[in-house]
Amino acid sequence: MSTLPLKGIRIADFGQIIAVPYTAQMLAWLGAEVVLIETEQRLTTRIWPPFAEAEPGVNRSGGFNLVNTSKMSCTLNLRDPEGVDLAKQIIAVSDVVMENYSSGTMDRMGLGYDDVRPLRPDVVYLSLGAFGRTGPMKDLVGFHSVINLFSGLASVTGHKGSHPRIMGGLFPDAFSGCYCILAMLEALYHRANTGEGQHIEVAMTEVLATLLPEAVMEYTLDGTEPERVGNRHQYKVPHNVFRCQGQEKWVAISVESDAQFQALAQVAGIPGWADDHRFANAEARLKHQDELEPLIQEWTMGLQVEDVVQILQLSGVPAGPVLDSAQVLADPHMIDRGFVQSPNHREVGQRPMGTFSWNVDGDRPGVPMTAPLLGEHNRKVVQELLQVPDDEFERLLANGVIS
Amino acid sequence: MLSEGALTGLKVVEFTDQVAGSFCARLLGDAGADVVKVEPLNGDRYRRNGPYPGGVPDPELSGLFLYLNSNKRGVTLDIESSKNRSAFLDLTSEADFLVVGQESGEVERLGLRRELLAAAHPELIVTSITPFGLIGPNSSYLGDELIAISAGGMAYATPGIPDKVGDPHLEPPLRSNTHMAGYLAGVQGAVASVAALLSRTIQGTGCEIDLSMQEAVAAVMPYELAHASYDEAKPRKPKVFGVMPNAYLPCQDGYVVVMAVMEAHWRNLMALADNPDWAELEVFSSGVERARNWDALEPLLLEWTMAHTGAEIAQLAQDKGIPCFPAYTVGQMVDSAHVTERNFMIDMEATGGQRFKLPGYPVRLEKTPWQLFRPAPKLGEHTAEVLDEWLGYSPEQILALGAVSA
Repeated sequence: MSTLPLKGIRIADFGQIIAVPYTAQMLAWLGAEVVLIETEQRLTTRIWPPFAEAEPGVNRSGGFNLVNTSKMSCTLNLRDPEGVDLAKQIIAVSDVVMENYSSGTMDRMGLGYDDVRPLRPDVVYLSLGAFGRTGPMKDLVGFHSVINLFSGLASVTGHKGSHPRIMGGLFPDAFSGCYCILAMLEALYHRANTGEGQHIEVAMTEVLATLLPEAVMEYTLDGTEPERVGNRHQYKVPHNVFRCQGQEKWVAISVESDAQFQALAQVAGIPGWADDHRFANAEARLKHQDELEPLIQEWTMGLQVEDVVQILQLSGVPAGPVLDSAQVLADPHMIDRGFVQSPNHREVGQRPMGTFSWNVDGDRPGVPMTAPLLGEHNRKVVQELLQVPDDEFERLLANGVIS
Repeated sequence: MLSEGALTGLKVVEFTDQVAGSFCARLLGDAGADVVKVEPLNGDRYRRNGPYPGGVPDPELSGLFLYLNSNKRGVTLDIESSKNRSAFLDLTSEADFLVVGQESGEVERLGLRRELLAAAHPELIVTSITPFGLIGPNSSYLGDELIAISAGGMAYATPGIPDKVGDPHLEPPLRSNTHMAGYLAGVQGAVASVAALLSRTIQGTGCEIDLSMQEAVAAVMPYELAHASYDEAKPRKPKVFGVMPNAYLPCQDGYVVVMAVMEAHWRNLMALADNPDWAELEVFSSGVERARNWDALEPLLLEWTMAHTGAEIAQLAQDKGIPCFPAYTVGQMVDSAHVTERNFMIDMEATGGQRFKLPGYPVRLEKTPWQLFRPAPKLGEHTAEVLDEWLGYSPEQILALGAVSA
């Protein structure tokens, strides 16, 4: 097992909803001590479904509990100047500040980069926004759908001849989070070498636009807009998902070479494949995929997804199941590899979740610990970390500065 | 004058035939590391992928190749021939990172496991990106973009809210026509690599990172997995989305998301629609009521969206702070004042003089900013230079490899 690289790093996490909470969670798994600063007056995922047993409660939300594991929770009223002052004290003893409020919110609270640098000159301060912190659209409200639509990603997603579609999984948040983690690790490495902190700014729309180099190149060369092609590919045929036995069961098949196609055609019993000029090579298959795909689906429809995958993989043909999210968490392969972990939670028990996508020397790094209850670590943070005396703590509690 | 990046002074060797490995190594180069891309003698597969300026195939001008391989130097070696392989191993022994990205069977066949490479060089970090990982019951499975997006749960989840399928039995799960799984795995591979570097500064030794593309896809859907963990997998055609409207609707010239889940947003939206009589109906009096009676509300809202273009709706709504937005074309995004003012796109010029743009770097680091240190290498451009600079090979030794033209 590799040494956790962020031991001794403390993070003040002002994250909202998914993107920054997800980033800070991964940094916590890498060994950082993360103080999640929450404001009871403006809770988000804690009061949104899904709830354990469909019973609402601030400690019962999967959306919160599965992106905030391994953190401490400190509830401060950031609308109260004394609450902001406590936040500043936390920042003063932290290495990293991360936030994804709407543009300008941290500045208005007196917690912007320029405000906190005097408190902590080598701070690494990360701001993430849907459209970033500069530019004419910086103040726009941007949910994942808006980010999909603005970035052009929706325009390359959709069935042939049909309209643009929105990618699932709310992935712009976590994908942006991956870039944030990378930037943070680089900035911490730079700080370790030079003593210098810095500001990091990320726009989620730009993160998504990085997926489109080909389309951007073609548009800027001659104005060509991409066509939507469903699941098809520019030269791999077949390259699609096909229905299998059962309700909403699908298998993905992707064939790159003639040898793979011959193996597929043989096991699928596609009539006359060996001497059918329509499928003889990639170029011919590209022209005749409308005819080829139904032949394949005829075969897959009679089989279970797992059987199609097994048969094709044994024949050297790339294939995989189309898994839904419950199947992802129940997948024996990913469970065996350690991707799926089930940290125990005091109120809702063990719940499966995904972790890092990699092992280090055969082990999954940073197994998640429980997510904090709301305000669970108020005393630990304010009294132990900030050294606020008992009577002062009680006064702040009574005045609702800490809740 | 180019300044230094966070990883300046570190050395990377890349050997991969996938987007994920190439992009992972590029990100290390983006941070200043000296990245040497080792290509087979006939070149990386993405040199043959396009798009090309003017549509004329040219291995030096493939858009995807140029994008994936900036900030690298290029070396050609046939690592399966014994004399070239020793040069490859010599390069690896000088490197801090080796990034490999193949199907797992190829990683084994080519002997790219760390235990075979790091015996005399324990500092080496090997980052291996494969479709299903190097261990586990399905690790030998073949896979690519489509397979990873499907087996990682993303295809099933697409289209995602507030978009939805018509008939879940007939409308297939969907991927985007991009190399999304490759980029997801590439960025996470770079994260894992730099995390391993930080660990190395503490413990002194490198490690082997075994990253699975399937998991790299699943890892960016925490909310989707939370639904399955706390409730059930989200249906592909949900009945309602809690409170409404949060809908993806056709408009005069395309499609638009109309979102007004807060009461203030709803009142502002109704004001934009000239406060129709139906806005006052009891059945639309709250977000929950509007969800319950969505079948009645949807056609009424459609009347409004169909009377406007996407751009009009966005302008009207955003002025009132309502999150509505149309589906942009690639051109609308590239040409938008926002992208232009943030200077996000990079200007490129092909050897034939054609100008075009590529997406820039989505993270702005104040002290160690992203830079285009160098464009993607031509085939074999730096073979002699790197073998001399890294290894001190003589010109005769280099020629004897047969991997470089005299």
